[in-house]
Amino acid sequence: MRMPKHIWLALVGGLAGCDGRHSWLAGAGAEARLIEDLFWPFLIGAVAIWTAVMVFAVIAFRRRPKGSDERIGRAIILWGGGVLPAVVVAALLITGLLTLRAMASRPSALTVHVDAEQWWWRVIYETPDGKVFSANEIRLPLGKTTLLMLTSDDVIHSFWAPALGGKLDMIPGRTNRMTLTPVRTGRWGGLCAEFCGAAHAQMRFEVVVMEPDAFRDWLVAESEPAAPSALRMERGLSLFLDEGCAACHTVRGTQANGRVGPDLTHLAARGRIGAGLLALSDANLRRWITHTTDVKPGVRMPSYPAMPPDDLDQITQFLMALE
Amino acid sequence: MRYPRIIDDGSVWIVIVPPLIWALHFLAAYWIAAVWCAREAGSLTPAAWSIIVLTILALVAISLIGRVAAVRYGGFTRPGRESAGDTQADRRQFLGHVALLLCVLNAAAVMMTAIPSVMFGRC
Ligand code: HEC
Ligand SMILES: [Cu+2]
Repeated sequence: MRMPKHIWLALVGGLAGCDGRHSWLAGAGAEARLIEDLFWPFLIGAVAIWTAVMVFAVIAFRRRPKGSDERIGRAIILWGGGVLPAVVVAALLITGLLTLRAMASRPSALTVHVDAEQWWWRVIYETPDGKVFSANEIRLPLGKTTLLMLTSDDVIHSFWAPALGGKLDMIPGRTNRMTLTPVRTGRWGGLCAEFCGAAHAQMRFEVVVMEPDAFRDWLVAESEPAAPSALRMERGLSLFLDEGCAACHTVRGTQANGRVGPDLTHLAARGRIGAGLLALSDANLRRWITHTTDVKPGVRMPSYPAMPPDDLDQITQFLMALE
Repeated sequence: MRYPRIIDDGSVWIVIVPPLIWALHFLAAYWIAAVWCAREAGSLTPAAWSIIVLTILALVAISLIGRVAAVRYGGFTRPGRESAGDTQADRRQFLGHVALLLCVLNAAAVMMTAIPSVMFGRC
């Protein structure tokens, strides 16, 4: 039998996902490796059991009934249908719990709060000198265990950075804890894994794993107010304040202190905008501001389709200077 | 007159009791862990011990029922014997058989409910 072409394509597409930024087979985190260690035995075991059942079924249908069949049949039912499944299920339960225990018991060196909103992520780093606010991009030091405190402000979301670790729901009124211990540097993808409304599919984030020294420098920079070169752009800044952006967005070092949308103090240091949706670039920022709802249907930010081109230039330049 | 006990001869209720024990054990374990962790959020040990005690009690209860069931069925394994007739004796045997199997199933289920509390030290 030949397999239809589209099935091959789907299979190839599925495999292509395996070495990507979103693959839990990427081995980018200690927790993801624990899950992987659990996955292969599960898979092999499931295939073995399925094959055995199929072989038995074929034999059973092809054989002529004999006198001794009754006793053998009973033994197969008792051992293969009762005892074996009970043992296998108990073993699965115990190994699953062992994995969970190993994932839950790492002492952490850093605490990061991630607060899900429709449809983006508020990110707050705890440091000895106070909290550092950011959004939509989570930076982690290589080889260190970070404790993530996951909550939500509106509906249930779910935090999942497959390359690094497990998936955990973010429930309003609760704080769920999860640890991530990255073992490979790079940019990894994350997403909301629980349907949360119109723009759920566009609710993504980036995880940037850095060498510990670089991470420390970055965290210091992130805690600073906006870059002086941006603050000197008076026209762009005053447009940002006058157009109402400041009611929803914070830019530290200015009067803008809104908390409805992501903190933009260091927007230009991030890789993407719109919660992982578009790459950060001049053109994409213009598109985001003028066609917000086209880019991200349902988004909780108004579009500014009628903004004069000159104003748009100024605001975009201001945003791109927020390094 | 004497009221029939729930697991008396001829009563179908004997097949309900093992799943009932499992359900109560499950609920109790769930409640204990939830209430304990909501208040303490630290060590799980005291909650784990009470769940272990409950588990032992549940297993003892199930095995007592299992013994009654085995007596009615007429042993633990009786390959080749069917209870398909419609006499009182057949009915007794059949119910004993069903209850016995349910006891085995629910004993396994009760143990599985208890495993997590033994394995996790903290909430
Ligand atoms: C009513 C509140 C509101 C106003 C007013 C508003 N925004 Fe937003 N903005 C948001 C929200 C909410 C988001 C997050 C959208 C998402 O990703 O789902 C956002 C996202 C953004 C982002 C992407 C940030 C990131 O890290 O992904 C930029 C850039 C931005 N807004 C710029 C502006 C500018 C410039 C203005 C003014 C012209 C403005 N916003 C006005 C609420 C607002
Ligand atoms: Cu979501």
